[in-house]
Amino acid sequence: MKLHIPSFVILTLVSLLSLSAAAQQDGPPYTVKPLPPGGPAPRLANGKPDFSGHWLPNGAGQGVSGRFGVDPAARGTFDPKVTPELPPAFLPGAAAKIKSMTEVERELARSSVNCMPRGLPAIWLQNPYSTVIVHTPLMMAQLFEVLNNWRLIHLDGRPVPKNPEPWFHGTSNPRWDGDTLVVESFGFDERTYVSANGWFHSEDLKVTERYSRPSMNYLIVEITVDDPKVLERPWKSAPRRWTLGNGEVYEFYCTNNKEVEELEKLKDQEAGK
Amino acid sequence: MTTRTLRAIAAVSALVVLMAAPSFAHHSFATEFDGSKCRDFTGTLTKIEWANPHGFFYMDIKDPDGKVNNWSFQTYALITLRRAGTSRELFLDNIGKEVWVRGCIARNGREHYAAAGSLKFASDGILRQMGQLQD
Amino acid sequence: MTGHLRITVTCILTLALMSTFTLSGGAQQPGPGQKVGIMPPGGPAPRAVDGKPDLTGMWWPNRTGIPHVENTGADVDRAALRQFDPAVTPEAPPMFLPDAAAKMKAMTATQREAAKGSVNCVPRGLPAIWLSNTYAVQFAQTPGLLVQLIEVLNNFRVIRTDGRPHPKYPDPLFHGNPSAKWEGDTLVIDSIGFDPSTFVSNNGSWFHSDELRVIERLSRPSRNYLQVQITVEDPKVLARPWTSALRTWTLVDGQDVKEFYCTNNPDLEEFQKLIEAGK
Repeated sequence: MKLHIPSFVILTLVSLLSLSAAAQQDGPPYTVKPLPPGGPAPRLANGKPDFSGHWLPNGAGQGVSGRFGVDPAARGTFDPKVTPELPPAFLPGAAAKIKSMTEVERELARSSVNCMPRGLPAIWLQNPYSTVIVHTPLMMAQLFEVLNNWRLIHLDGRPVPKNPEPWFHGTSNPRWDGDTLVVESFGFDERTYVSANGWFHSEDLKVTERYSRPSMNYLIVEITVDDPKVLERPWKSAPRRWTLGNGEVYEFYCTNNKEVEELEKLKDQEAGK
Repeated sequence: MTTRTLRAIAAVSALVVLMAAPSFAHHSFATEFDGSKCRDFTGTLTKIEWANPHGFFYMDIKDPDGKVNNWSFQTYALITLRRAGTSRELFLDNIGKEVWVRGCIARNGREHYAAAGSLKFASDGILRQMGQLQD
Repeated sequence: MTGHLRITVTCILTLALMSTFTLSGGAQQPGPGQKVGIMPPGGPAPRAVDGKPDLTGMWWPNRTGIPHVENTGADVDRAALRQFDPAVTPEAPPMFLPDAAAKMKAMTATQREAAKGSVNCVPRGLPAIWLSNTYAVQFAQTPGLLVQLIEVLNNFRVIRTDGRPHPKYPDPLFHGNPSAKWEGDTLVIDSIGFDPSTFVSNNGSWFHSDELRVIERLSRPSRNYLQVQITVEDPKVLARPWTSALRTWTLVDGQDVKEFYCTNNPDLEEFQKLIEAGK
């Protein structure tokens, strides 16, 4: 199944182009700009790159949503013109299942709406909030601002269980490939979605994350999703770039969620109940 | 209208469209709210409910018949507001004062409930973005 | 699978995993009848690169160093299941102001139960995360930063240990707004600005006001021990500040803090029904 590009994406791209043209004519009106690379990446005591930092899913190193004066070049985590990201190729059965969901059902399945943990890999693919990484030679702790959740990846070579319990972030098996940390994970909770819009997964889901820090201010995360019961072939993300923030991570607990109730009402109304 | 004003309006509309870039839209506005039922509201801020996943603020708003209703408005997640410079303190300081907000009402017909787009406190007149009124 | 059956199966699987994966130097899960006492201190505490005690590690809220030892069938010394010896370091009960005491007394047993973090799945928050937590915490420490991973509900705290002051307008947060600095080998974390929905302890009645202030004193006197002392100030609720005993958590070697999400909670609904029925 091919995902069609919604008209709003095209509109966005068109206005993005026209806006940058206008900006060049009048001088930059932007107050939020792309963060420069910022010198070499720090190293751990064992010589490997240190991924520690406060990372924002944009090019600005600060918040970009809800603000005026943001340079469009500072918004995304990758430039689709330079590193295009192909849509996932779903098997016919999976495509039919996704298509059969109504818009409201798809909305209710989103973790941003139902407040279930995003899990891996959605935490990297569908997360507009920041992530703190604390990295030592023996571990990498990831603190996700959204829902105030964490994930711990041990780098001390401890054995990986063969038949782990299904976790939201799976069970991780990390290794270094030069200066890139490759983390292969399997064993996922069945309730998570790979990304919004109904991309569900099977129990055979395998996720590979490739982390690198080419410079002080940049963290690159590249995700491969392998799921032979859902996908025709593995899907690979663009190398997505997070930028270093000011360290302010906020508490985000989902304790006042009225959206589910409102959408459930709408669902009942649509079903003619 | 001057060229400058037109240019400013064009820039703001383009920015509003940009805010809807898919990698940032964390949930779909159009599923829950009706983009064809948006209007300007002016009233008095009565209280706030500052919790995630969305903040809510409440306003007493006079309808055309002169009856006052208490409306609630949904905002972005609190982190997004705070990173954009809109703090809880700012809202607390404006309780009991006049507020203008652009909002769209819910598809399920719930009364006196809307998603907030842009907002201005009469106290400082600064335009602030509270949420996005389109996908 | 029903919720409870699922949880039971999960527990069994977890226990099975714990008993089969014993790592070199790792905590041995004791067999039935095996004697378990207080974990020995284990030599000096490690130091971080900046010379401060390194609090990094997985910590268990009693003195056995063995997660869920009660479920192994081992013969466990009762003293080891406690965080402190009340005969040596007694912990005085909190002194409530009359109004606060009356409010607590007015709650029914069901209301109290429904208000517990362990029942309603609202984050325990500070200081209940220390005073009423039967699951592990993990610290990761780097110079100027202490990160706490809390197993229950998979929550975390980020604590800058550079002594930066409290924010001028603190938001009400579950873990408050910390200002932390080292005093010798003790990390002192002073927090203000708390979410009104948390309880100081998980008994569902010790509520707090907007003036709650929590001071944590954390130290690692030896490799295997983490000591935690909590002071609670709340002039609208307490007649005078309350200070806990020096409570000991023990190091868990070679195991993992686990994912614990509250995604399957029928308890609250049942309690709400009871509350409605009682009206």
